[in-house]
Amino acid sequence: MPVMPAAPVTRVGELKPWPVAARLALREARGGLGALRLLFVCLFLGVLALAGVGSLATAIEEGLAEQGQVILGGDVEARLTQRPPSPEEMAALKGFGGEISQSIRMRAMVRGESGRAPGNEVRGESGSAPGNDVRGESSAAAERQLLGELKAVDGGWPLYGEAVLRGGGGNSAVQAALGRGALVAEGLADQLGLKVGDTISLGEAQFLVAGVLAVEPDRAGEGFTLGPSVLIAFDRVEATGLVQPGSLYRHHVRLKLPAGADPAAVTAALEDQFPDAGWRLADRRDGAPGVRRFVERLAQFLTLVSLTALAVAGVGVGNGVQGYLDRKGGTIATLKALGAPSGLILRAYLLLIGAVGLAAALAGAAAGALVPWVVVQVAGAALPVPPVLGFHAAPMLASIVFGLLVAFAFAVPPLARAGALPAQRMFRGSVERWPWPSARAIGASLAAGALVAALAVWQAAERLFALGFLGGAAVVLLLLFAMGTLVIRAAQRLPRPKGVLARLALANVHRPGAMTRQLVVALGLGLSLFATLAFIETSFNGELAKTVPAKAPGFFLLDLPKEDAARFRESLPAGTEVRMVPSLRGPVTAVNGVPASELKDVPEGSYLLRGDRGLTWSAEPPAGNRLVAGKWWPADYAGPPLVSMDAEQAGLLGLKVGDRITVSVLGVEIEATIASLRQVDWDSLGFNFVLVYDPNALRDAPYSWMATATPPPAAEAGFTGAVTRAFPTVSVVKVKDVLGEVGNIVRQLGTAVRAAASVAILAGIAVLVGALAAQARSRIYDNVILKTLGATRSQLMRAAAMEYAGLGLLVALVALGLGGIGAWVVVTKVLEFGWRPDWMVALATVLGGAAVTLALGMVGAWRTLGVRVAPSLRE
Amino acid sequence: MTSIDTAADMVIDAADVTLSLGDGPARVEILKGVDLAVRAGERLAILGPSGSGKSSLMAVLSGLESATSGRIRIAGLDIVGLSEDGLAEARRGRIGIVLQAFHLIPTMTALENVSIPLELAGHTDPFAVARRELEAVGLEARLGHYPTQLSGGEQQRVALARALAVRPALLFADEPTGNLDAATGETIVELLFRRLDETGATLVLITHDQELAAKCSRVIRMRDGLIVSDTVAERAGVAA
Repeated sequence: MPVMPAAPVTRVGELKPWPVAARLALREARGGLGALRLLFVCLFLGVLALAGVGSLATAIEEGLAEQGQVILGGDVEARLTQRPPSPEEMAALKGFGGEISQSIRMRAMVRGESGRAPGNEVRGESGSAPGNDVRGESSAAAERQLLGELKAVDGGWPLYGEAVLRGGGGNSAVQAALGRGALVAEGLADQLGLKVGDTISLGEAQFLVAGVLAVEPDRAGEGFTLGPSVLIAFDRVEATGLVQPGSLYRHHVRLKLPAGADPAAVTAALEDQFPDAGWRLADRRDGAPGVRRFVERLAQFLTLVSLTALAVAGVGVGNGVQGYLDRKGGTIATLKALGAPSGLILRAYLLLIGAVGLAAALAGAAAGALVPWVVVQVAGAALPVPPVLGFHAAPMLASIVFGLLVAFAFAVPPLARAGALPAQRMFRGSVERWPWPSARAIGASLAAGALVAALAVWQAAERLFALGFLGGAAVVLLLLFAMGTLVIRAAQRLPRPKGVLARLALANVHRPGAMTRQLVVALGLGLSLFATLAFIETSFNGELAKTVPAKAPGFFLLDLPKEDAARFRESLPAGTEVRMVPSLRGPVTAVNGVPASELKDVPEGSYLLRGDRGLTWSAEPPAGNRLVAGKWWPADYAGPPLVSMDAEQAGLLGLKVGDRITVSVLGVEIEATIASLRQVDWDSLGFNFVLVYDPNALRDAPYSWMATATPPPAAEAGFTGAVTRAFPTVSVVKVKDVLGEVGNIVRQLGTAVRAAASVAILAGIAVLVGALAAQARSRIYDNVILKTLGATRSQLMRAAAMEYAGLGLLVALVALGLGGIGAWVVVTKVLEFGWRPDWMVALATVLGGAAVTLALGMVGAWRTLGVRVAPSLRE
Repeated sequence: MTSIDTAADMVIDAADVTLSLGDGPARVEILKGVDLAVRAGERLAILGPSGSGKSSLMAVLSGLESATSGRIRIAGLDIVGLSEDGLAEARRGRIGIVLQAFHLIPTMTALENVSIPLELAGHTDPFAVARRELEAVGLEARLGHYPTQLSGGEQQRVALARALAVRPALLFADEPTGNLDAATGETIVELLFRRLDETGATLVLITHDQELAAKCSRVIRMRDGLIVSDTVAERAGVAA
């Protein structure tokens, strides 16, 4: 009789997978987690980028919110265009109690006149007799002109916050100085070389420079401005002659409400009482909506760039996990041999990897939370408001969730593959071909990826753009993965080179366990991102440098009084090309009879209903515009008001020919029927208006002229000074200066985007280093054998150089192509700019990346070559 | 075989087992149709030159590798066609394995290594049982030592304690003395057979060592993926 086992098969209880997995994970952790450092570094970098962008944006947004009163200049503000408040409106504003402050803001040419006898008060005299010809001006005077933002403030300013003079002095010192003359912002003082005691001209008046303003508390609330501020006392603005009917100025009335008053209730009451005032009411909850929107959008874009960096990091996480499992093959095989199911092994390593991932994400989020501090130190002046420094939980939490989801998405496939591999093959040490992960594992991985995308899109202000961006990134990821596979297949099928080194290099590309695919994906994604940015930036610069000057006029002239048109034309230097259009401003108050405030679901890109719009009229279609619907009115049209509208804005609001649009001009509502739609060439930098009226519709309204002028090159230098002396109320903008300013903004944005993209490159480099380390074991073995057979270190280095140079070059060229396509879409379809990239810069960018690859590969190769032969053979 | 046995007596009942690895031109037939029946309590040695398929046979019989075709019944359970998890489940508590390279988990102490199969089996007090198993192989002083702190012989004792901790019906041992010096190897063999006597497990031993094989009740020889001889030793201590 056979002898049966002494004890039955042990079945004491059911396997409790999670507790057992947790114990196994703890024991594994005790053995050290150094092998997971690639995972840690990659996830740390990815989460750092996300948390950094999120923390900075939140800090700025909280700064905007916290300082809403200061930025707005009050609890409630009524902003009127081209008119003061009526006595009834003023009475209503005063009726809420508290304090009230009024100011006027407008563009104005500031002329520095140091060296002349300083006036100690507003003289109220003309700076220069009108009627002078503009032809004989010196260039020296032209250099002393600057377009500034004139701000006339009353004695109550500022209601909130502290204005500060350079050299010290707060609100009371500021008010005292305003009693003596003008205060110039630091930028203005620096650019015009002004100091206290000098004289400046504003319009037709001269002012003593009574101080230099270091802090203007409500500056951020003013939105985009063309120049630095100059402050004068409210009651002295009249002397400048700049505030005329039709001139472009804004009148602000700010309220500091009594404690406990609800600003929203105040604005609601004002809206109810004066539904047709055409003013813009704001309260302290959103002091600078334009700045907030800008910050939101930039943060959104940087978040998407950071998510791409996180995707690169995810590849590193996958590689890190794969490399770790390679090392743990023996342990996993042993566990399997002892009867551990793959689910238990997956759980154990998922817990372990999850713990390391959580630590990396926490560290990344903590480091990201420090980004606002760093930015304040490095570039605090460039920020619209001082950020609220502190730990912002929401962006940190979001970045940790994103990081863990990405880590999960990339870690599960290698874990599942290890689970599916027969134990015996893992015992053998090197696995030649890993099986595909199970459908369940692929599903879980894809679900985590989809969740990341869904969260990112859900968070985004512009969801379609976010979806497009992430979709594009996913397509690039798949293309690179396919390319990696193609490279391996091609290397397998290529005829074997004659030289042994070339043969070795080629074999290393496709050998079992080669990290070619991962290298192509990680490096390709990083380089594609950089190539895209290089293309966008050079294309933008190219468009500015090449196209715009050819089309753009030399100068914009604003606020030319309507009666001065003829005299202005006559006074211009011979050969000056000039185009003049009448100009008014006013908000759109209703569409098809529905008040603008009641319109719902206004698309993001529709700015027509936001703030004041420039208005004009014309007997003929504006040059460069093309009618796409309706008909232009006859030259002698004298019927009810008609308007021609920009087709794109009309499309966004769903408007068509025959619909009605109402604008408020100086409090008078004018309703016009849309007669035609125009396609506007916005980048012509000429005068382009969304709304162009028939000549009869607005002719009786107070207006001024706007002009573009291109004087002959010889007359260009002294043009600004000559015009402003002859026409003191006119603001002159030199187009090249504006373009320079725009270029500066673009460069600053480029720096921010590059900083976020750099994390993608850093993560890519970490992936690269990790991939090289993962290859090191097999490379060391090869090199030891080759050295045994007589290969020298330099020969082996040459083989490595061939491999990495070839791979780097190939990836660089593909990244150039992918980046080019991505940038082309962004430039021509999203930004709607001309496509003028500098291919050489983009090529240099990607080749630089390839060079880094080569360098890192060589460092890795050198390390594997340094191994001594005899000990390695004994192992 | 010396007698006709019923399937119920068999710890291993394998018929026409094949194993092929690789695809296309790289495909290699490792086992070419092996039939094997092993009764409970037998001590079977598998001999053969390198590449004969003896380790592969052990791998498919123990479920470490899936057979390409054929039928394998282990302690009453058909294991061909089972998934990786099915095979792991089949091994759990049913099969113990001792390998030449010990394969202890380096991050775990001797006690923890032995407790793993007990934990996987849902044992209520795995460490107490593991402690007794280690005492049974003379390692009561080495419970908290890590594999790197143990000699080769000690590591193999831990592996033996681990393999037998759940009282499996079947113990596979693949060259258990291959990494040990002669004296240590001898000690391990003695310990192995003593523990088999104590636990009653059936042994399948893969070895090159004729002397070691001679200690078994039955010896089969393999060549080119096939069993070429099957001998029952007259002096074997196990009833045949």
